[in-house]
Amino acid sequence: MDCPVARIAPSAAPQVDFALVGHPESWSAAAEVFSALRGPEHTPLPDDEIRDILPWIPPRAVCRVAAKSIGDAEAHGLYIDSFISPDRLDAACVRENLTRVRAAAAYAIKAGAKMVSLGGFSSILIEGNFDQLPPGHRTVFTTGNTLTVAFIVQGLEKMCAQQGRNLRQSTLLVVGATGDVGSGCVRCLAGKVRRVQLIARNVERLRRLAVELESEGIDVEIGTDLGDFSEKAGLVICAASLTSSSLLLSSIAPDAIVCDAGYPKNLSPDATTSRATIFFGGLGQITGGLTFDPDLRGILNHHPFPDVAHGCLLEGIALTLEGRFESFSRGRGAITPKLVEEIEMIAARHGIYLAPFFNGAGPVTLQ
Amino acid sequence: MESLMEMKPLTECDFPTAPIWQDVLAQAVTGELVAAMNYAALAGICDDPQEAEEAWEHAAIERAHAAAFTAAGRKIGVDVVSNADGKHWKRVREAFMRCVAEHDVIGCLIVQEIMLESFALASYSRVAIVAPGSLGKVFGAIAADEQEHADHAMCILKAERDASPQVFDDKLHRLHLEVMTTLAAMLTKECKDGHCEVCQSSCVKPSLFEVNLSAALLRGASLQQYMKMLDALGLPGEVTLAWIAQLPV
Repeated sequence: MDCPVARIAPSAAPQVDFALVGHPESWSAAAEVFSALRGPEHTPLPDDEIRDILPWIPPRAVCRVAAKSIGDAEAHGLYIDSFISPDRLDAACVRENLTRVRAAAAYAIKAGAKMVSLGGFSSILIEGNFDQLPPGHRTVFTTGNTLTVAFIVQGLEKMCAQQGRNLRQSTLLVVGATGDVGSGCVRCLAGKVRRVQLIARNVERLRRLAVELESEGIDVEIGTDLGDFSEKAGLVICAASLTSSSLLLSSIAPDAIVCDAGYPKNLSPDATTSRATIFFGGLGQITGGLTFDPDLRGILNHHPFPDVAHGCLLEGIALTLEGRFESFSRGRGAITPKLVEEIEMIAARHGIYLAPFFNGAGPVTLQ
Repeated sequence: MESLMEMKPLTECDFPTAPIWQDVLAQAVTGELVAAMNYAALAGICDDPQEAEEAWEHAAIERAHAAAFTAAGRKIGVDVVSNADGKHWKRVREAFMRCVAEHDVIGCLIVQEIMLESFALASYSRVAIVAPGSLGKVFGAIAADEQEHADHAMCILKAERDASPQVFDDKLHRLHLEVMTTLAAMLTKECKDGHCEVCQSSCVKPSLFEVNLSAALLRGASLQQYMKMLDALGLPGEVTLAWIAQLPV
């Protein structure tokens, strides 16, 4: 393999239309990026070295990104890593992580980005509090969650159609139902299924969401524990990462369709879940092409299909290609079916569609 | 005023970690003396008499820092022995002198004010947090001094880069490969290429945890400082990240 950084030469600042702010999903993901940046002539860094080095790296661009529309539009941007350590994504580290996200946002503003997508935990940390971000008169921020919701909903509907499932007769369980993505999925799908089961940690928020849905005639059950429900769900959206995936998989229908939309994604099919269909949700594919400089394809977006990325990042790209520089997704449960439909149309105009199905074991084929 | 009791030098028995501080101080004194020699050499190639005068002043300040570190060592009962010909320091010095030979003032400033100062500033600041009593205060005060140097040089270097980014960045990368590779090797977890010729006996790095330090921490803090300085100069982050990723570990 050629060294992906060999041809990087510092030069006058190129055009930056958008920026994607992310962080390593895992230590192994970080190690892959570092190995690529080191190039084949250097030995890969051992795990302990990665753990020693990464926390010291100030938020910065990792590579340049170019996205092409199926129309004429083309957009250029940066992938900016906040370098939040994968083992410091918990509540105890919120303050230091916010500092890193703010620094990454400042980097994007300084680079001249007009649109910034806050991917993964970056958007969770900010959660609609855009005033926590540094001011940038020419820069707008989006959590990107509306397109994520769109791809989760599309994915579940498509998988049901492929498997001949009747949505109307199904019970849908949403884990992390009161979060921005979870509540958006609930609002889009609740009216299309027989019953919804909502699970989250905050009971008060759960109750408020249930009241809203019940006023629309929807059959709702709420709980803080998987054992709280009257029946085993056949459709599941995990909008929050689970500490124990086996617990979930033993609490749902054996042939359930499970959309892992958490971040990081940690549901994997195994012997005990051989009848369930698990796929990673919230991902899209940009058919006009996505290029990285240095070439970190398949490293930054480690998926079995080309040009696949998280919906949250693709939302910023879609809006940039459309020339709509606005904070489309602002967090805090404001995602509505109407907004989802709108961003789907914008994305589709530029060739950004639902990604092919896959999970941690590879492409998902019909059973 | 300090009491006589406080003035009395501590012995190794009083200060069980003294041998560790002795080696930490030896590296610091060596670094300061190398900096003093660098500034003196820089003064010789400055066309502007005022710049030359400033370089001489910097040289004097670095010598004063070395003296302060040596005195701090005496205070805890250790003799601090420097060795500017130790293999890493010698390499750094040679890189600097190549810039001097080419009358390359900007190259000299990059090596001294960006690369060496990053390591000095970040390391001294970290040592200041954990070093006991007056030793910590000396490291803290000298770190503050080094910050002033760096701020002054950054203005000159930023103007130089703004005028010709490609030429500046090419030069910086060449010097990075020479100097930062050496400095990073100094702070790898183990000295894989043998003794550094500055530590008094065996390598001090495995013992640093006894004083709440580690080579990884000093290296991480130093590289962070370096990256921040490169960011401030306007170098693209994706480029400098790759440079850092390729350093020896």
